[in-house]
Amino acid sequence: MKRILFALTIAAGPAWSAAGTDPEWPCIQRKQPHLSLGQVWAGPVPDDRVTELARDPRIDALAARLEQRRLPMEEAEAAIADFAADADDARLTALMVAVMGKIEPDRSALIEGIARYGRSQVALAQRIEERRAQMAELEAAADPDFDAIDAAEEALDWDQRIFTERQQSLTYVCETPVILEQRAFALGRAIAAHLGE
Amino acid sequence: MKHILVLAPALALLAEPALANRVFVTNEKGNDVTVLDSDTLEVIGTYPVGNRPRGITISPDGTELYVCASDDNLVRVFDPNTMEELHTLPSGPDPELFVLHPSGNPLYVANEDDNLVTVVDVKTKQVLAEIPVGVEPEGMGVSPDGKIVINTSETTNMAHFIDTDTFEIVANVLVDSRPRFAEYNHDGTKLYVSAEIGGTVSVIDPATQEITKKITFEVPGVLPEAIQPVGVRVTNDGKKVFVALGPSNRVAVIDGETDEVKDYLLVGQRVWQMAFTPDEKYLFTTNGNSNDVSVIDVAAEEVIKSVAVGQQPWGVVVAPN
Repeated sequence: MKRILFALTIAAGPAWSAAGTDPEWPCIQRKQPHLSLGQVWAGPVPDDRVTELARDPRIDALAARLEQRRLPMEEAEAAIADFAADADDARLTALMVAVMGKIEPDRSALIEGIARYGRSQVALAQRIEERRAQMAELEAAADPDFDAIDAAEEALDWDQRIFTERQQSLTYVCETPVILEQRAFALGRAIAAHLGE
Repeated sequence: MKHILVLAPALALLAEPALANRVFVTNEKGNDVTVLDSDTLEVIGTYPVGNRPRGITISPDGTELYVCASDDNLVRVFDPNTMEELHTLPSGPDPELFVLHPSGNPLYVANEDDNLVTVVDVKTKQVLAEIPVGVEPEGMGVSPDGKIVINTSETTNMAHFIDTDTFEIVANVLVDSRPRFAEYNHDGTKLYVSAEIGGTVSVIDPATQEITKKITFEVPGVLPEAIQPVGVRVTNDGKKVFVALGPSNRVAVIDGETDEVKDYLLVGQRVWQMAFTPDEKYLFTTNGNSNDVSVIDVAAEEVIKSVAVGQQPWGVVVAPN
């Protein structure tokens, strides 16, 4: 019993303490709900024509390919260079707008998912607390129902295990928005390299 | 014959056109320091320096390199040429940033966890004083004459003026939310304090301890919450001020006379700290999320190169001539 309580304290400690400004945010990294174009792009500010161009099927298809993280950056750079061979600055900017149009919604959904993940961990921690109280009650009874105690203990063990495993994957989960930002930045840099050619 | 042989390398050194300085970058996650050559802008090597290295500085004579090993709760001292550890200095818990007195001694260390500034004699390795300051002390600056040390406290939102003779706080200035860094201009007439959450840089008159101006930032196409000022550097002539703007991935270039923003340079991701070469030809920036260092040509106000370093670069210092 004591062991479980101790493990819970350890697991919950660092994750909830470094939340920054949003108390429900479970990551050490500061919560940044949205990524904006200017953070990854110093090229021209897109106007209406560029926004329209970004819907061009060829540009859209290339953006969809570039966004995939399984496509190595060297290959992405080569694909951008091919595209840049006959693309002016407006088309290059449109490609960046299209890339952001794909990465940003993915990232926002991910951020929302992490917030949900954090909330469900809080709920699970509360349930574990309740189960512990319930077990203490069963054990303190004058005539203990050992079958009920065994069942309660098993349920508690499962919840505890799920909690701990989720907590361990949190480190990786929290890294993912940063990985998406890095991808957007690297693509922005690669596209911007062809501006004014 | 022997004389000539001995002389030859010395002559080769004299013939060197530009003086190359070593640039040291702490990698917070990589637990090491990447060393660059300020002339070729190439990586010379990467050396382990203890756990979670953040703040970094060098003695004015260039013989000792100081690194805040935050998770080791001490300052590690290295030979800048060999990168061998010479000894350690007590720092108090979780040292993050520090500043060296212009004379090279002592060292003033901000201890984020226990609300103290620790003063350490770098020669005797003794703690000279522990000064209680506001909650979560972080930024450290020193006046050019060495008489005043500034500490900023992230939660109290103040710049504390500490007398270096008495180790007492002589003034407090309330600035915007989460002050991260304090930097004097070269003649000591202005003090710049950045506020990460407030999104501003306060310009303070050190004589009256009054805020004379608040610099605000607006980058086209960047959401305001991504503009988080941290590191500040001022050229020796006071004419150019550079401010690192965190996750907006920009460095603001400010006219040091009017304190108006002139330009925003796109560097790398999550830019926090910066350092000039002694000749102020280049400014190096640490980009924690893109794991690189950007090199800014100070005269042209342009980013000329990005150099890949270790995991999560945090602090940077350039060796003196």
